[in-house]
This record gives sequence, C-alpha cells and structure tokens, in this order.
Amino acid sequence: MVFEFLQSLSEIEITGGLTALSLLTGGIIVGVGIILARTVRLLFSKYYAPKLPQDTAKNFSKLIYFGIIILSFLVFTSTTGVDFSGLLVAGGIFGIVIGFATQSVVSNLISGIFLMIEKPVKQGDKIEIPGSDVTGTLLDISTFSVRVRRFDGTIIRVPNESFFTSNIRSLSSTPVRRSEAIVGIAYKEDIDGATSVIEKQIRKSMEFVLTLPKPEFRIKELADSSINIEILVWHPRDDWDQVGPKLLKVAKNALDDAGIEIPFPQRVIWQAKE
Amino acid sequence: MSDKNSESVLSNYGIYTISENFEFTFPNIEIKIERIGKHVFSYIRKDAENKIIKKIIPSISSDLTLELCPIRPLNHPAPRTSHVYLDFETPVFLSEGSAATVYVRCPIEIGVFLVHGGYKDSLDWFICDPINSRFCLYGPPESGTLCKYTNSEIVESYEDSIPFYNAVLKIDIKNQLNKGFTISKIVFPITGNSLYYKNSKSIIDSLVATLRKKLTLEVIDIDANPIKTDWAKSPAYEVSESIRHMDMGVD
Repeated sequence: MVFEFLQSLSEIEITGGLTALSLLTGGIIVGVGIILARTVRLLFSKYYAPKLPQDTAKNFSKLIYFGIIILSFLVFTSTTGVDFSGLLVAGGIFGIVIGFATQSVVSNLISGIFLMIEKPVKQGDKIEIPGSDVTGTLLDISTFSVRVRRFDGTIIRVPNESFFTSNIRSLSSTPVRRSEAIVGIAYKEDIDGATSVIEKQIRKSMEFVLTLPKPEFRIKELADSSINIEILVWHPRDDWDQVGPKLLKVAKNALDDAGIEIPFPQRVIWQAKE
Repeated sequence: MSDKNSESVLSNYGIYTISENFEFTFPNIEIKIERIGKHVFSYIRKDAENKIIKKIIPSISSDLTLELCPIRPLNHPAPRTSHVYLDFETPVFLSEGSAATVYVRCPIEIGVFLVHGGYKDSLDWFICDPINSRFCLYGPPESGTLCKYTNSEIVESYEDSIPFYNAVLKIDIKNQLNKGFTISKIVFPITGNSLYYKNSKSIIDSLVATLRKKLTLEVIDIDANPIKTDWAKSPAYEVSESIRHMDMGVD
C-alpha cells in the first residue's frame, strides 16, 4: 500500500526531473536537518557556551544552527539530482537587483561580521559613542544592529554600519577611571589652604577615591571672578556613580566648612568724575 | 562561652552561643542579638554613623551560635579586588645577598558567621576603621592592579596587632640581587593567606618575598607561607548574594 503510494509519487513529475517523491524526501531531509540543528544548538548552549565569552558563544550558536540547515539543503539537492544551475543564474540576476535595493542592509551585515572579527568592545562593556547620546552597557552585537542599554534603563539600537564607523569610547577596559570637577574660590583666599581642605574631605567621605594616584589639583583658570581649581580623582572603573556626581558637592561642603568663599560673578563699575 | 541577659562587654573574637539577648561591642560598632520568637532571633548592627543593618535569623535549635573572627580586608567599601598594597611607613634596606624577617600590620575586617551542624555560613561583616579602608592602583592606569591600600607599620612580633583593626603579618625578605635594595611596599593577593585569632588579637599567614633578576628585570616574587600556630583559624568569608527576584510564582 505504502510502496504503491510512493511509486505513484515518483511518477508525478513537478518540473525538470523533480518528482513529488524526491520533493517529499527532500522535505524529510531538511526537516531532520532543522531538528538536528536545534538539538545541537541546545546541547552547545547548555554544555559549551557557558565556558565561552557571551558574544563568541552566540555567534558559534548561530553558525552551528544555520550551518547544519544549509548542509541538509545541500544533501537534499544532491540526492534529488535536480539541476539548479538555471535557478542559480536567475538567482544571481535577482541578487544584483536585491543588492542595489538593500545596500544599507548588506552594509550592516558586513559591518556586523567585521565587528565580530575585530571585537573593539565585548558584550557587557560600558561604552560611549562620543557626539551621540549613546552611553551605556553593550547588550549584544547581532547580524544587523547593536543594542545598548543606556544608564536610564532604556535600550537603544544602533545599526552595525553606524557603530562600526563611529569612535567608540570604552568605559570598562581599564581597572580605574578618572573623574574631574572644577570649583572656583575667591581671589583673596589661599589656594593651598583650599586644596588641602578639599583633599581632606575627599579622603574622609569618598571611600571609592583611590589613595594612589593621589587626588590632583590644578589651577584651571584665573577667571573674571574666581580662581578655578580643577580636581582630578581616580576610582575603580565601575564606581563612577559613587564619585563623579558627588565630587562637586564634597568640594563645596569642604570649602563652606572652612569658610572659604566661592564667589559669584561680579563686576566693578568705575564712574568717571566730571 | 555563654551569655548573660543584655550584657555589654568589649567583645573578643570567638564562638558564642546565645540563648536570649546579647550585645557585642567593638570600636565604632555595636551588635545586638535578640530572641524574638521560639526559634527566631534578630541581628542588629549599628556603626558610628548610626547606620543600622538588621536581619532576622530563624534557628533550628533553641540557641543561636555565632562566630566572630577576623577576615581578609576585601569587602569594604565593595569587593573589587583580591590584592593588598602594604606601603611601609619605614622602608627596609637589604644589602646584596642578605635576608631579613619583618613583622608588619595588615588591615582586617571582622566576619560574623552562623554556626550550625558543622557549617559556618557568612552572616555579616564590618570594619572598625572605615576611613582608612581605601583602594589604590599599583601600576599604570591602563594595565595596573587595583589593590586595597594600607600604610603599614613595622612591629616587633605577632603580639603587636591593634585589636579589631589589623593583624600581624610576617614577611621573610631575601635579596638575591647583586646590589642593595630598598623595599618600601609589598603588593600581594591576600586570598592565599588565612587568618588566625586569639582573644582580640589576630595574625595572618606569612609571606616570602624574594628579590631577584628575571632576564633584565629586577622583580620581587611573593609567595604565601602557611604558619603553624595554636590560634584558632578564621573561616573564609564568602559573599552571599541577596536574591532580589523570585522565580516561584505567586497565586
């Protein structure tokens, strides 16, 4: 019964040597290929991926999945004996047309491949793209785009091409980072005294500021109303939020406690006598 | 050791079995244990700035057993590194081919462990000298090592630790260079060194520091060396993470 059914299928020719039976066989081969691809991907994700960096594991997973599916398709074409050369020629012409129409898509794809090869940053890094509002944690680099979780919790998608051609500032590739702040004191005040009280307060109240290298103080500017002092402190790379936003507050409190004036802009007007 | 109701003493390190209420007093730190149920205790720690940590501890037995002991100085202000940078107040000069043994003070933190059925679980940790617990960088910013920094004083023997603030560390220094050398700092991963305690004093596994030439570079090799002592060994403090999400469903 089954044999007769299969024989009847082999007699139904769909096109140029492709019978219904070979199409059925091909469908089974591709189906088995998909199941096999999913199983292998699952096993890889469970046993080997945890030992690899996240982005490498993700790329390998995709490579294995699509590799097995493509392989099963090739097995299908070779077993059916169908001549796909005509299809390939037509596909080539069609590909050129599609290529022109989807330049940016292809560009993103190629950029994505180069990003995966070059690895300027890796998944989980804190990054900034200067000149744009993209600052945050890199979530993943996928085929066409990069996803970044900004520090406000929102997720921004950047096309691979744009990401690849941008300057990328890595905020987490070194063990420490430096934060800066500028504070102004009145001209009548002692500069060494002011820096000394700020340094003491930083040491006392900012537990993430490094002892070595020591906090540094530079005279930034002899401005119109104040002597501007730049404060530079180092801290562990992941603790910017414990230092950067608090530095000015600590400096102001230290100067206030020591009675050192932080002047507001003022102008002296001389009136000529008649 | 056993407790008396609401007793307040300057505490020692050790294992305490608490049946009702108990108070521990350390420099800048107060810990209060209270029984709040038949098998439930509350743990309250208050520091000098009146910051309060409170935990509820269900207990299988009717008593609560805690161990308070010195631990490695790696938790305050946050666990970021396993290296310690000892900056000697007085540098040590070693002439060519000579060796010396120095005892230095090394900072500690204090761990609180819940003891039950042969296990010791990390319950809490604190530091009596938070102002002097700071990080530093050894090496250049792009490739250096983040360390816990301390200005370390050279002392005479293992008995010279300041209770609850530091432990004494013995360092055997050998100079295998063909010239005299001044050593002003030692940087080492402290995770290989165990701590030991007796009453309020603590000591730490010793180090062997060897100055030698590797190719053209003059380097100092540091190795941990376990010590033999009758002092009690502190358990290692492992960070137990707070679980902030629930996988179990709710009806």
